[in-house]
Amino acid sequence: MKPLWLSLLLIATLGITACSEAPPQVHKAKLFTLGTLVDVSVHHLDKASAQQAVKIIEDELAIINRQWHAWQDGPLMQINQQLAQGKTITIDSSSHHFLQQAQRLAANSDQLFNPTIGSLVEQWGFHSDDRPDAAPPTKKRINAARKQMPSMANITLTATTLTSNNPAVQFDFGAFGKGYAIDRAVEQLKQAGIKDAIVNAGGDLRAIGSKGDRPWRIGVRHPSEAGVIASIETDGDESVFTSGNYERFFDFDGRRYHHIIDPRSGYPANDAISVTVIHNNAATADAAATALFIAGTTQWPQIAKQMGIDEVMLIDNDLTIYMSAKMAQRIQIEIDDAQIKIIDDER
Amino acid sequence: MTRADYYIVLFAALLLPYLYISQWTGDKAGISATIMNGNETTEVSLAHDHTLEIDGALGTSTIKIENGKIRFTASPCLGKQCIHSGWLEHAGEFAACLPNRISVAVLGEAPRFDSINF
Amino acid sequence: MSDDPDSAATTKTGISVTTTPEDHVIAWLAALAIAIHIIESVLPSPLPGVKPGLANVITIAVFILYGWRTAVWVSMLRVLVGSILIGTFLSPTFMLSFSGAIASLIVLWLASRLPGAGLGPIGLCLIAAMAHMFGQFYTAYLLFIPHDGLFKLLPLLMTAAVIFGIISGIIVRSMLQHLEKRKNDTTAQRNKQEE
Repeated sequence: MKPLWLSLLLIATLGITACSEAPPQVHKAKLFTLGTLVDVSVHHLDKASAQQAVKIIEDELAIINRQWHAWQDGPLMQINQQLAQGKTITIDSSSHHFLQQAQRLAANSDQLFNPTIGSLVEQWGFHSDDRPDAAPPTKKRINAARKQMPSMANITLTATTLTSNNPAVQFDFGAFGKGYAIDRAVEQLKQAGIKDAIVNAGGDLRAIGSKGDRPWRIGVRHPSEAGVIASIETDGDESVFTSGNYERFFDFDGRRYHHIIDPRSGYPANDAISVTVIHNNAATADAAATALFIAGTTQWPQIAKQMGIDEVMLIDNDLTIYMSAKMAQRIQIEIDDAQIKIIDDER
Repeated sequence: MTRADYYIVLFAALLLPYLYISQWTGDKAGISATIMNGNETTEVSLAHDHTLEIDGALGTSTIKIENGKIRFTASPCLGKQCIHSGWLEHAGEFAACLPNRISVAVLGEAPRFDSINF
Repeated sequence: MSDDPDSAATTKTGISVTTTPEDHVIAWLAALAIAIHIIESVLPSPLPGVKPGLANVITIAVFILYGWRTAVWVSMLRVLVGSILIGTFLSPTFMLSFSGAIASLIVLWLASRLPGAGLGPIGLCLIAAMAHMFGQFYTAYLLFIPHDGLFKLLPLLMTAAVIFGIISGIIVRSMLQHLEKRKNDTTAQRNKQEE
């Protein structure tokens, strides 16, 4: 029996030493980039690795921000100028990859995610960090911009060139760039051997791994009140993105105008107040949250299906919560008396 | 004392109880602690005995976790007020090494969410 | 140097500075404030650098005797010279003293605009001490330790501010009574000599 006791003792000692090792820790850091506050949480690492992770994220986000910022003087502004002149533009492989993914997502969303309506967004005044409460554009101007109907379908991409057959195409990747940047940052983290982290850029996030002994817990903010409306525990590698009418807006003459412009009408989409999407790829989740917000209460299940999104929560103006069956299985509603409609599109 | 003086004294007499009630309610045992170093926050569990060495603005501060309590044991500051703060064990207790920009706060419960989506 | 050690005007360097007796009083008061500032710097505090503000005694006495502008001078002199002498100039401790001094000067300026009888020494000292504490506290929170746990220290610090504020108020009141008495005595003496 002696060897058994001995090995039990050995296992017990090992257990004790394991316990007295570094306790579970979450390092958090805040940084300002992408025009927003980025929160980084990294679990169970020594400080040097955590700092390295923050540096990786900061660098990756800054690269995408510089390249694709819609209204700061930079590469994208030059591209937009050349597009307006009908020129063929030479692009590198990373730009190709970015544009190709955006084009595919736009096609899958029936062009509801439309990153070519930059001039419409500019007319609405959302090409500034802080839009003043001034008058919205006139109906005439909106109609003029809308009738040109630019979309990603006007774009032809080759490995090295970009051309457009519609001079009205003006890129604005506000509903895609953040997700793309987060994806890039997370890929870099994984390559650096970091397994457990959350990158949260202005409320939209991708979480990998876990908080050690339990999954990462994400609270989804209530779209019109203080506090949290729902919570999600992430599993493995997931992105949680929300588009809401409360994120950027201005008030004029007693009316509120938000930043999610429906390319079909030229006006802010008003059927939903927020849409939350879970998908492993952050860029896809980003574009889908916007497209489904514009699709609204009746059209979203179809667009979600086309985009390959099966976890959606949409909240309408009466605070009715619409959910896909898969979302309903995993999300925890945190408010009382919620009106919930589960849309099962597996019929 | 003028009438205005009395108002000021009254104001102070009302402010102090308010501050104590608003800041010092709850005497729960601490479960975890947050350590803030400059702009970085680290959340540590008090369930595991452990010693942390943290590089701050001036040098290395040592923070010790033992039997569900946490304290500064060494710091490169002159006054050593952080060390004199002693063991922290109840939710809300706090110690700081201002020159080294490192502070410790005890939390009664772990934050419910790791990140907020909006 | 002039032969007369009491003369403030030097002629040998070619620069002549005329000082009034009032300037001398202010210089003395500033020196006193600096001395208190230095003594106070060795007092323990739960948040290093955050002080109850005993040196405010002088600021408020000057405010009552000579007005707000002079109080600004004395207060700023105290913070600058005091911190240079202790060796904390431009350090976090200095920033805290400085912000405390600014906060209490702002409150004193507001108090000087009060209608009616306004505030007496005790009210002034108390409100200035509380402002001094808030100023230091928020500077510490905003610049150095943006940790919400810091607010757990606020009740204790504010209690210290209130106690020291009232004590300073009593000191200032007796100081003013003393000065008033001396002034009356000297005028009486002068009147006697003139007779």
